[in-house]
Amino acid sequence: MKNSYFPGCNLKTDAKGFEQSAIAVSKALDAELVEMPEWNCCGTVQTMTADNLMRRIAPVRVLSRASKHVKELEGSQNSVTTLCSMCNSTLKIVNAEVKENPNDLEKINFQLENDDLVYEGDVQVKHFLEILRDDVGYENIAKKVTNPLEGMKIASYYGCMLLHPDKAKIDDEEMPTVMESIVLSLGAEVVDWPYFKQCCGSYHIVDRDDIVNSQVAKIIRNAKKTGANALIVACPLCAYNLDNQQLELEKQGVEKDPIPIFYFTQLMAIAMGLPQKVNHFEDNHINPKPLLTELGLIEEKK
Amino acid sequence: MSYDYIEFGQTEKEFTSKIEEISGQNIFSCYQCGKCSAGCAFSNLMERTINQTIQLVQLGQKDKVLESNTHWVCASCMTCTVRCPREIDVAAIMEAIREYTLRYEAETIERLDLPEDLLKKIPNIALVGGFRKKSEL
Ligand code: SF4
Ligand code: SF4
Repeated sequence: MKNSYFPGCNLKTDAKGFEQSAIAVSKALDAELVEMPEWNCCGTVQTMTADNLMRRIAPVRVLSRASKHVKELEGSQNSVTTLCSMCNSTLKIVNAEVKENPNDLEKINFQLENDDLVYEGDVQVKHFLEILRDDVGYENIAKKVTNPLEGMKIASYYGCMLLHPDKAKIDDEEMPTVMESIVLSLGAEVVDWPYFKQCCGSYHIVDRDDIVNSQVAKIIRNAKKTGANALIVACPLCAYNLDNQQLELEKQGVEKDPIPIFYFTQLMAIAMGLPQKVNHFEDNHINPKPLLTELGLIEEKK
Repeated sequence: MSYDYIEFGQTEKEFTSKIEEISGQNIFSCYQCGKCSAGCAFSNLMERTINQTIQLVQLGQKDKVLESNTHWVCASCMTCTVRCPREIDVAAIMEAIREYTLRYEAETIERLDLPEDLLKKIPNIALVGGFRKKSEL
């Protein structure tokens, strides 16, 4: 099976380890992510206004190009796959909106004329987590595990965008299980914690890092209290806030003993014994290697 | 106990309608249960709670709504939206108040003045998201 894959901007910059580990994992599980051609930024945050079509053009352009790609890609289902949960939510919401409002879609399509494209509202948007749950299946993930993550106690951090709003959610918004199920199939321990979707402060990192810091402190304290030694995420912005701001809090003397933040695909790559270079751990702010080495999950490089 | 006397005329009604128009929501559906404020992770930082803000929008009290930091502290997490028992897209109302300011009162917004090293460091989705929510860009 092949999946048309929309990377979004961050997967090519801060989150290379997310993209490359996901691609490696997808190949190993016979659900390969194949990058769609000529994609553009989806706009990151979807507009919640009822009257602004301009902000909906970029996502529709992505969808129209994806719909072309899925037709050309052999063995592909009629869906485009995302890794970043913000892209996922923006594309899903706009996709649902234009299906509900054919008049809006017509106006937007008019803007795509120079591209010789029309979007017919015919493609589905899926997060890679949905592919893993619905198409691959947890037992097939477990079968590929050669290096079970014994000793890892993982708090799954969904953040807001995987679960809100109804049009975008990939799982039950108050009691999701997809990330935990993957954690279990990798042989790690699941931590049950209430802060799994407490917002990290998101884009406030731009000019109000105080807001982000107070959220990160609450989230991390709760994760530690419930015994977690690592967090997994599916969003490059959650990742940055939880990772870098823990170090800021440490500098400020507010928090100590930061715990590493992983993209869920990085841990899958380790458990499945895939080459370590796909993880790009050099981009992590809190170095995850000491924990992984201590637990004997990776070889220490001399 | 003190009372706050308010004006309620055409100007006030216009503000209410504008917020309804931008958000696409019927603001009068709100019955002030307070669930949105109770579940918001940022309520402690807001000068006025979300349901108080909504009531002021119902009453068209533009100045009071705009002078509070509530809508700027909102991080668009949409927890309120998925929990509102009246199925109001509450986050869209926060967005509409931001948009109102950005569209009609942009001069009241402080420009984001960001240091070079921050620009290099933070993820691009933070920048695109931040600018879209907080500036006229
Ligand atoms: S949750 Fe809905 S009905 Fe309740 S106060 Fe908030 S907006 Fe009003
Ligand atoms: S969308 Fe805004 S107001 Fe609603 S819960 Fe999230 S931060 Fe609070």
